[in-house]
Amino acid sequence: MPEAATLEFRGATKRYPGADHAAVDGLTLTVEAGEICVLLGPSGCGKTTAMRMVNRMIEMTDGDILLDGHSVRERNPADLRREIGYAIQQIGLFPHQTVEENIGAVPKLLGRDRAWIRNRAAELLELVGLDASLAARYPTQLSGGQRQRVGVARAIAANPPLLLMDEPFGAVDPINRGRLQTEFLRLQEEIRKTVVFVTHDIGEAITMGDRIAIMREGGHLVQYGTPAEILGAPADDFVREFIGDRALHIQSGEDGALRVVDAKGRPLGTISQDAVRRALP
Amino acid sequence: MIGSVIIHHRSPTCESRNGLCPSWIWHHIGDYMSPLWRHVELTVVAVVVGFVIAFGLALVAHRRRWLITPITGVTGVLFTIPSLALFAVLVTSPLGFGFVSGVIPLILYTLQIIFRNVVTGLAGVPEETRDAARGMGMTDRQLLWRVEVPLALPEIVAGVRIATVTTVALATLAFFAGAGGLGDKINTDIDFKSNIAVAGALAVLLAIALDLLLLGMERTLAPWRRARAT
Repeated sequence: MPEAATLEFRGATKRYPGADHAAVDGLTLTVEAGEICVLLGPSGCGKTTAMRMVNRMIEMTDGDILLDGHSVRERNPADLRREIGYAIQQIGLFPHQTVEENIGAVPKLLGRDRAWIRNRAAELLELVGLDASLAARYPTQLSGGQRQRVGVARAIAANPPLLLMDEPFGAVDPINRGRLQTEFLRLQEEIRKTVVFVTHDIGEAITMGDRIAIMREGGHLVQYGTPAEILGAPADDFVREFIGDRALHIQSGEDGALRVVDAKGRPLGTISQDAVRRALP
Repeated sequence: MIGSVIIHHRSPTCESRNGLCPSWIWHHIGDYMSPLWRHVELTVVAVVVGFVIAFGLALVAHRRRWLITPITGVTGVLFTIPSLALFAVLVTSPLGFGFVSGVIPLILYTLQIIFRNVVTGLAGVPEETRDAARGMGMTDRQLLWRVEVPLALPEIVAGVRIATVTTVALATLAFFAGAGGLGDKINTDIDFKSNIAVAGALAVLLAIALDLLLLGMERTLAPWRRARAT
């Protein structure tokens, strides 16, 4: 199995019978191998539906999705899903299984034995920054942050070339969320998976995404680009409004110190004299 | 008629006063072992067969939710049929007197409670757990046996426990169908307190023993339920 796969949406469409408009309307975009693609948009924009069409948790009604050039429509759904990591906001750890058994769920489906799973679980726990002693615990015995990490470990246990993540850090407090984001990016440095990451949080999208796909109601893709491209050149008013005014300004205080403030004048931080000297020779 | 046989076993002192007679009980406890064993057989056969039927129906209804109401309805109606009437009907049927006529009503009475608990237990599995299982590539069958049934286990065992205790009680009437059991003992000398006490106590002890056995089984099969935050 390749380390990372190329994912290609080709006019992927989901239309529910009786609905006024499509849930996902002709989505076309390519995620390069090893990149994190963030699907971003308000609730109801079809981003989760788009993600779930990849592993056929939702069947598309038109168009196609290709994984390394092969249509997912031609695959047996269960086999396809075993090759694609899956992490959701509610995590969905199995309460009746230990951490080790949870992590080993997909490897077990793929026929790995207990010894293999034990080694893999230990390796993954370390990789996601958890103590190996947690392997024998049940999910109820973990904190929220620990559960999220186990959820991520479980998603990558079978070394899938593609990872689907639906607001995987959505259910934790902001501090832990930031930590999980940083940790995941560090992890991604090592594993280099192709990732589809769904969120409604522009801040998270900028932090996590190599590329961001902004979607709006009706399942339309409005803009697809790097965070810099999107912040620098919003495609239209919808994008501009959605990302908000993220321009930062430098303000000098009465004491002569320089502060960075956001569009509303709220201070975000100070600029050290060193930095000023270096920037302005 | 059979009473007279037993009366001549009684010593004049305690038994003639119709009290609780420890020495009589001590000397006659052995006579209760065979009916007790028959009582166990009636209960175990009824619960096992009832479980197989109800569990099978519940699995079918779990995937076809519209079946839940009719099945609950039918098993509910069965539950309301007076047991004596049912024993009487079966005795007059080709089955006649015997174990089978005694055990069939007991089976029927377990269906409602076991079916309902299995269905409730399976339905109680959190949606995100189901979603994660499917998303990781479990087939419907794997989802059922690896996730849904284990998670429903506490509810399922709870149903079996109630069904078992109820069946122990109901089985005391199975003698009407000629199926024996502790009810037979009670009936043969219904006016003698020591007899009623021994037979009754054995039925109660049997119910408690089977209940504890099932509780222990649940503890062994669902260790995760006792796991608490450390």
